[in-house]
Amino acid sequence: MTTVEGPMGPTSGTGDGEGAPSGSVTALADLRSHLRKSKAGVSGIVICSLFVLAAVAGPWLPLIKDPTEQSLPDRLTPPVGWGGTWAHPLGTDQLGRDILARLIDGARISLLVSVTAVVIAAVLGTVLGLVAGYVGGRIDTLIVSAADVQMAFPGVLAGLILVAAFGPSVWLVIIVISISSWMVFTRVGRSLVLTLKTSLFVEASELAGAPSYRIMWRHLLPNLVSSLITLCVLELAAAILAESAFAFLGFGVQPPRSSWGLMIQQGRNYVTDDGWWIVTFAGLAISVVVLGVNLLSLWLQSFNDVAEREQIILERPGA
Amino acid sequence: MLRWLAKRIIAAALVVFVVTSLVFVVTHVFTDPATVSLPLEATEEHRAQRRAALGIDRPLGVQYWDFVSGLVVGDLGESYWQNQPASKLVLERLPATLKLVAGATAVTLLLAAPMGMLAAWWERRFADHAVLGFSMAAISAPPFWIGYLLIIVFAVQLGWVPTFGSRGFVSLILPSFAIGLASAGRLAQMTRRGIVEELRKPYAVTALSRGFSRSYTIMHHTFRNVASGFVTMTGWEVTRMFTGYTVVIEFVFAWPGVGRLAVQAIEGRDLILVQAAVLVLATLVVLTNLLVDIARRLIDPRVELA
Repeated sequence: MTTVEGPMGPTSGTGDGEGAPSGSVTALADLRSHLRKSKAGVSGIVICSLFVLAAVAGPWLPLIKDPTEQSLPDRLTPPVGWGGTWAHPLGTDQLGRDILARLIDGARISLLVSVTAVVIAAVLGTVLGLVAGYVGGRIDTLIVSAADVQMAFPGVLAGLILVAAFGPSVWLVIIVISISSWMVFTRVGRSLVLTLKTSLFVEASELAGAPSYRIMWRHLLPNLVSSLITLCVLELAAAILAESAFAFLGFGVQPPRSSWGLMIQQGRNYVTDDGWWIVTFAGLAISVVVLGVNLLSLWLQSFNDVAEREQIILERPGA
Repeated sequence: MLRWLAKRIIAAALVVFVVTSLVFVVTHVFTDPATVSLPLEATEEHRAQRRAALGIDRPLGVQYWDFVSGLVVGDLGESYWQNQPASKLVLERLPATLKLVAGATAVTLLLAAPMGMLAAWWERRFADHAVLGFSMAAISAPPFWIGYLLIIVFAVQLGWVPTFGSRGFVSLILPSFAIGLASAGRLAQMTRRGIVEELRKPYAVTALSRGFSRSYTIMHHTFRNVASGFVTMTGWEVTRMFTGYTVVIEFVFAWPGVGRLAVQAIEGRDLILVQAAVLVLATLVVLTNLLVDIARRLIDPRVELA
């Protein structure tokens, strides 16, 4: 395995090349004009914003019921359009809880777990990638072999062992997701550093006597940021799916707390009777959010793709 | 080639060794099978008894030696949930998992290769957008949810296939699709991108300008050059299946495979059995990677593999 490939194929590893930092104002303007041309980018941002809004402001949203309030007479009320009423727009679950309210409540745990896990993985992975690429030698060999072993021992298997050993918990899920994702950042970061290392501005600061940590932090890292952010978004999609899978297996959030994966697990016994909406809507929530993140990542990738970006900037009116 | 192969096999064996050692550290240093198997309120005396019964009261070095020498002869310890050798339990379940992965891989290949070629053939036309739409949807939906949707539609509503369990070929269809759709989505996009890139290269431009049709050029020239990447990505998807997808999909369809055994063993607080299942799956991943490297080397002799 010589190339790093994310779920969408080879990650376009194009940093800013020679590292002449373009002014942040023009970069932002480029980004905005690029966004205006991209339906994927707009839909991605809209979906992700709604997701974050639901996660952060969930309990204070108007007209939303208490996600834990049970009402057995109302159990398994179908959604509006299938014989339900607007009292429960998406119906109720096996304990009579409002599904819409539980979906909004579940957004919180999903966002918390996936973002935390990706941040941990990104920080750890990037630092290791920088050090491996820049310092080289035995440290490089060690880090690269560790990444290779991690590739061969995917996170889910590590997750099974850890859950078996320590019991299910949200923190464990965060740890498992970050250990299954750090090496992606390490590999991409390292390969970018290897090309940047030979460029003049790095040699110049070496000759000027800058210590290696300063070169890594001030000169190399800023050139990795755009690629790494794209990678973060890509890994975020994987992290949300992984969180839902662990919750679904019962290894993550424990009841009475709610999450989308757990809703599917609890609703799965009703798919054969009249209760298809529990599983359907919970899965739809996961799919839509992951789709939003994937669209965002598709757009960022196309923006990071230098050739395509130049095309778009050339097409910009007034350019 | 032989020299390279020998090196590659040794590297794979090393990875397996490192992984087993890491697993040992988690299951014997940070905790131990006796503690896991007992409820929290168990008395110290009870714990000590269980430890002695499982041989966990001995020094770690001795235990590790036992563990490794057991692995060499295929002994993965004794499952105390089932009172049977763990390796026997896992190997009994292995054919079901292999069948599922084979089915899912078949679905993946049958969908991905034509879709990728069609999308590249009609680049930026309707077919391309349709394939992209399918891929995005398939990648974004959690496989276990796809599983339930398939059950709701094809088993419950239409009644074409059985809902759960493994009863012959028919019951393999839904789980294979539940796993294969996402893999096919990723692979189709990768194929499309690869072919489109190749079509811009001089040799393809020459072929097109000499009057060969786009489909002929794709089938006879560019796809061959994408094949190496295609094989690598397929192998990648197979490793994903062994590790992630089979575990959840076997749970959804009550499929009697290794992944389901692992989940049941966790519920049964049987650390030894979980460990055995995980080690077998990890070994399958390493083997898959090895096979992929060999296949790549055979397809494209230019590939230099370290």
